[in-house]
Amino acid sequence: MSLASICTIAVALALLAFFAIAVLNVQQLTASWGEEIAVVAYLDTTPEEAELKRWLREIEAFPEIAEVSFVSKEQALKLFRDRLGEDAVLLEGLGDNLLPASMEMTFVEKNRDRATVETVVERLRQDRRFEDFQYGQGWLEKLEAFLLLLRVSGTALGGFLVFAALVIVSNTIKLTLYARQDELEVMTMVGATSLFIKLPYLIEGMLQGALGGIVALTISFLAFEVALQESLGSLLLITGIDTIHFLPPNWQLSLIVGGGLIGLLGSLFALRKFVRYDAT
Amino acid sequence: MIQLFNVSKAYQRDQNALDDISLNIDKGEFVYLTGSSGAGKSTLLKLLYCAERPSRGQILVDGRNITRYGPTRIPHLRRNLGIVFQDFKLLYRRTIFENVAFPLEIQGRKRFEISKKVYQTLKNVGLEHRLNHYPLQLSGGEQQRVAVARALVVDPLILLADEPTGNLDSEVTLDIMELFKQANARGTTIMMATHDNTLIQQFPRRIITLEAGRVALDDSLLGDVS
Repeated sequence: MSLASICTIAVALALLAFFAIAVLNVQQLTASWGEEIAVVAYLDTTPEEAELKRWLREIEAFPEIAEVSFVSKEQALKLFRDRLGEDAVLLEGLGDNLLPASMEMTFVEKNRDRATVETVVERLRQDRRFEDFQYGQGWLEKLEAFLLLLRVSGTALGGFLVFAALVIVSNTIKLTLYARQDELEVMTMVGATSLFIKLPYLIEGMLQGALGGIVALTISFLAFEVALQESLGSLLLITGIDTIHFLPPNWQLSLIVGGGLIGLLGSLFALRKFVRYDAT
Repeated sequence: MIQLFNVSKAYQRDQNALDDISLNIDKGEFVYLTGSSGAGKSTLLKLLYCAERPSRGQILVDGRNITRYGPTRIPHLRRNLGIVFQDFKLLYRRTIFENVAFPLEIQGRKRFEISKKVYQTLKNVGLEHRLNHYPLQLSGGEQQRVAVARALVVDPLILLADEPTGNLDSEVTLDIMELFKQANARGTTIMMATHDNTLIQQFPRRIITLEAGRVALDDSLLGDVS
């Protein structure tokens, strides 16, 4: 077992783990933003109680909709008054309640995107009973662009880190193989098959990789507990997230399995050069 | 056992290491391959164990055309060959026993059979008392005897030896030759590259002389086989 290869894999994977922690927590943040996606549909006139109930049931039956609630003219005024606080006296001068009644709809998690929101709005618009809709069109567009940027840059950077780890691991293994070059040559000369020669190195590479993964997990967990949780926490607190999470169990397992896979592939690439039967 | 038909090998364009060679070596023959350095002796041997491929021509070993053998078939060819090099090429991190046992392990032989066969072969080369030593604890002559034992342990059809005595003194050389003779007597075809004329005179056999990649002399053709 080469300590150098284990350390290399551990460092590369720890970097990947830190990156994953950051991405996952930012994702949690954007998911919480998504919860705020809602459509407010304003009504011309307030319908009868029975009519209203039927109507609410109809909208609730939409598969995209998580919840729908009715806000009457009176409730709207009360909310407005509450929001104005001390300035509510301004409303005294107004005669009738000018605020319209409305329905507020929130979306199920997988449908919190612009396209779905617009489809639902379009469907409701066919229904002439609604006067106007409000769903933060501009804000939605920006959120989607940001999410896309996050996803693309996350994938690209993560992919790059994995690739870098693979190259580094492959080169570290090559160094150990240089020392055994003569031995590998002799094995090919006495008729050992490629698999017979490579298998022990592949298993060794895989175990080293998995061990590197465990070391990386330990390092990132310690770093998370000691420093990251606090610094990242205070940073994200401003944006409204109160708890920072470490990698979930399936990610932890992926890190170890991924380490094994990187070790295996790294060995495979390195061995190609060293186990050869002819000069061509 | 070994047939070459118009075989040429060029490492670089317009520069043939071997040039239009045709040979026929029968089963059980003992052949010296001689010639000055760079005449193509090693290249010819390499073609026979597929470490190099011919640029032109066909090579048959034991009736099989090995000219285009790939990485999956080469190991199986080499299991029927014993190869001895000038620089021994032993596994230095393994004991003498393990070195000689290695070709049998590759073939998946049973452990009991391996122990028996390895011991017997080491006894033949007079090294049965050294089986737990490592190669670097042995003298050059002893190391070459281990290499010969490793080549012979599989009862090869053909033994290819590239200057096997080049690094050894004359006394040890005689020991090695004696081992080759015994193997030959048991039916192994032997092809040995050497430029040691004294040796050839001491143990006269068929001689193939190469010059600049061509067969300059094949004394079996002259009817001069001893």
